[in-house]
Amino acid sequence: MQNDIRIFFTKTGMAKYISHLDLMRCMTRAVKRAQLPLWFTEGYNPHLFMTFARPLSLGQESLCESVDVRLVGEMTFKEIKTRLNAALPADITVLSAAKPVHKPSEIAYADYEIRLFSQNPTELLAAIEQSMAKPALLVQKKAKQGRRKIEKEIDIKPNISAFHAQAEEACVTLALRLTAGDCNNINPALLLEALCRDFSGEIQNTDILKKRLLLENGEVFC
Amino acid sequence: MLSKTQERLLKNVQKPARYTGGELNSVIKDKDAVKLRYAFCFPDSYEIGMSHLGMKILYSLINARADAWCERVFAPWPDMESEMRKAGVPLYALESGDDLRKFDMIGFTLQYELSYSNVLNMLDLAGLPLRSRDRTELTPIVVAGGPCVCNPEPLADFIDLFQLGEGEEATNELLDLLIECKEKGATKAEFLRAAAQIEGVYVPAFYDVTYHDDGTIAAVTPKEGAPARVTKRIISDLNAVYYPENFVVPFIEIVHDRAVAEVFRGCIRGCRFCQAGFIYRPVREKSANTVNRQAQCLCDTTGYDEVSLCSLSTSDYSQVEQLIPQMLEWAIPQRVNVALPSLRVDNFSDELMEELKKVRRSGLTFAPEAGSQRLRDAINKNVTEEEVLRTCAQAFRGGWTAVKLYFMMGLPTETLDDIAAIAQLAQKVVNAFYQNPDKPKGKGVTVSISVASFVPKPFTPFQWEPQATMESLAEKQKVLLENVHTRKIQVSYHQPQTSFLEGVFARGDRRLCDVLEKAWSLGCKFDGWDEHFRFDSWMEAFHACGIDPGFYANRRRDFSEILPWDHLDYGIRRAFLEEENRKAHQSVTTPNCREKCAACGAAKLNGGRCDAK
Repeated sequence: MQNDIRIFFTKTGMAKYISHLDLMRCMTRAVKRAQLPLWFTEGYNPHLFMTFARPLSLGQESLCESVDVRLVGEMTFKEIKTRLNAALPADITVLSAAKPVHKPSEIAYADYEIRLFSQNPTELLAAIEQSMAKPALLVQKKAKQGRRKIEKEIDIKPNISAFHAQAEEACVTLALRLTAGDCNNINPALLLEALCRDFSGEIQNTDILKKRLLLENGEVFC
Repeated sequence: MLSKTQERLLKNVQKPARYTGGELNSVIKDKDAVKLRYAFCFPDSYEIGMSHLGMKILYSLINARADAWCERVFAPWPDMESEMRKAGVPLYALESGDDLRKFDMIGFTLQYELSYSNVLNMLDLAGLPLRSRDRTELTPIVVAGGPCVCNPEPLADFIDLFQLGEGEEATNELLDLLIECKEKGATKAEFLRAAAQIEGVYVPAFYDVTYHDDGTIAAVTPKEGAPARVTKRIISDLNAVYYPENFVVPFIEIVHDRAVAEVFRGCIRGCRFCQAGFIYRPVREKSANTVNRQAQCLCDTTGYDEVSLCSLSTSDYSQVEQLIPQMLEWAIPQRVNVALPSLRVDNFSDELMEELKKVRRSGLTFAPEAGSQRLRDAINKNVTEEEVLRTCAQAFRGGWTAVKLYFMMGLPTETLDDIAAIAQLAQKVVNAFYQNPDKPKGKGVTVSISVASFVPKPFTPFQWEPQATMESLAEKQKVLLENVHTRKIQVSYHQPQTSFLEGVFARGDRRLCDVLEKAWSLGCKFDGWDEHFRFDSWMEAFHACGIDPGFYANRRRDFSEILPWDHLDYGIRRAFLEEENRKAHQSVTTPNCREKCAACGAAKLNGGRCDAK
């Protein structure tokens, strides 16, 4: 019997410095410690069947991470959540476990909350708004052509589906909706680079928080 | 927890998770609720330090006390160090993010000589004076332990006290003493005087060293009531001694990323080049039940899918036949791989190999150490060519297609014929693969030979021997390559320069303290890493201090000479080592301790008991 479940979790605080590869290892150990009845692949070198919906960039926080695993025995969603939270390090917290509804390939957008810390938020905001007013936002994106790594210049303005910026006491806050998913993914760090290009001051710190994943029709990925 | 200032550094460095802490099973305590804070420092990168079993043991042991909190500190990689220095952030401990000056005791583990420059760099990065005499307050006290402490003299001016031997008991005694001294407001000198009375504690400042005109030591004179000879500590009963129930599980991949179960201490073999084989004596075993219980417990608490048995020679464990099936009983259903490193070619059985294959097949590594039988006899590596070939053939029959063979060059009494014999032995192993009638179709064989440069070490029969010069090692590496005629044999070897520096510090004395500080000031650090090793700066430092490194590395010592570590007692009788040295020059072997006790003297440390008998 195929019993796939999706585990939703947050990755915040110091856990933002855990790379995707390291997170996979960390999860593998956590589900082992939690003694979940999990399915292993049946090949020459059996390993845990585990699929993450989207990778998260190093240095970014998220409230909407998810990983799919396959159960071979019975366990309630609540039990899975409790056991996993006891087995996970601080800063990675399971929110819920549930039957998957959507396919990860249906993900179309991601919402972000970004804080740019600066001595001079008003000036920074002005620079950002000026960039947004331009007809195109050109960035160098790393890509692959066959096995070759190349850099290509693209306009990411069409990838911004919603944008709100405001200056606060020591920072500029941005609320963004960017295209996300397998073929049209935009890393917010790339956009920030383009937005802040004309700012002459120093940005001391950047907090990037992924808040939710959405489908093409605006439904929340679950 | 890191401060915002500390966190800001992370965006510009590689592998930031090295510096964040917060790993599973790391211990957070209330700093106001403990009486003593201990910073356990490993003078190398996070990935190396986190692989070290001794650190895991002592970390958990100290944290098991309610009155103390032990935290971890590693040498920041140069990219992080430069960010820290730029921003004025001192070296901090991973658990609290507090800088090292706030700690009561700073403990370094000295695992290899090439990490000494990192010890100095870490003290400096912490904002502490390098020299012991310049740190006048009671705290932080800087201590050091580990195998290199058997000759701690090149660090004598920097470290307040050294702990000789095993740390499980002595560490607690030292912590008790420091807490007591803090409470009554004692001075650092008072603490050190009392500490010197603890067995196994060596306070270098309490020993005056004088020299002859030829540079050799004239006398080592104790003062302040310190003992004339300091004897190393050992744990008598390994079944009763503290062992961690969990390990800190790193996020990033480290060198040995697995659970580790220690099976015994000491070694029955007596290979004459091997320092570990002598300084960890006498042999003491854990029972199979203890090992099994500890291994299973660690796998449960860490989630690791591999557990490795740890000792100097795992197949010499007398209860290995009972232990392995016991472990596989739970390991197989839990998909945990049992790794057995440090196997010997002479007692590697078919049964053992079959057991190993049950979970996952890993690489096979054997260490003949020398190419010819004569030289293997001289170094007392009691392994014959037939045994090596038989084991390799056995492994090939079992389906392995790659083996790794470890050798050394620059061994005492070695000739160019012995070097050629390394290549010949590797060739015979290749041939053994093709003689196997059931060899897998379409698969070739890879025989990797790794050739290290021999470094004579204290407390071995070769402690009086000259180290081969860099020129002669380079020559021998050339001869070796000329004798390899197939691409099925892959050769790797060490840089002779790093081995030379290791040799200097392994048998050095206090006069090297100045050289070390000078080299550090010239930017030397991470000397064990090829990309950071600066040989020219080291030579400049020796030159600036007027010291000839060859005096320490390449000189033959007379048996009558006072060696810099002669006032330290590791249980091994000096007369025994002298006799072993004579036998080496006659290529006469000594049977292993289980066959016949060689009366090395170490059993006296354990009331005459030795599990090898």
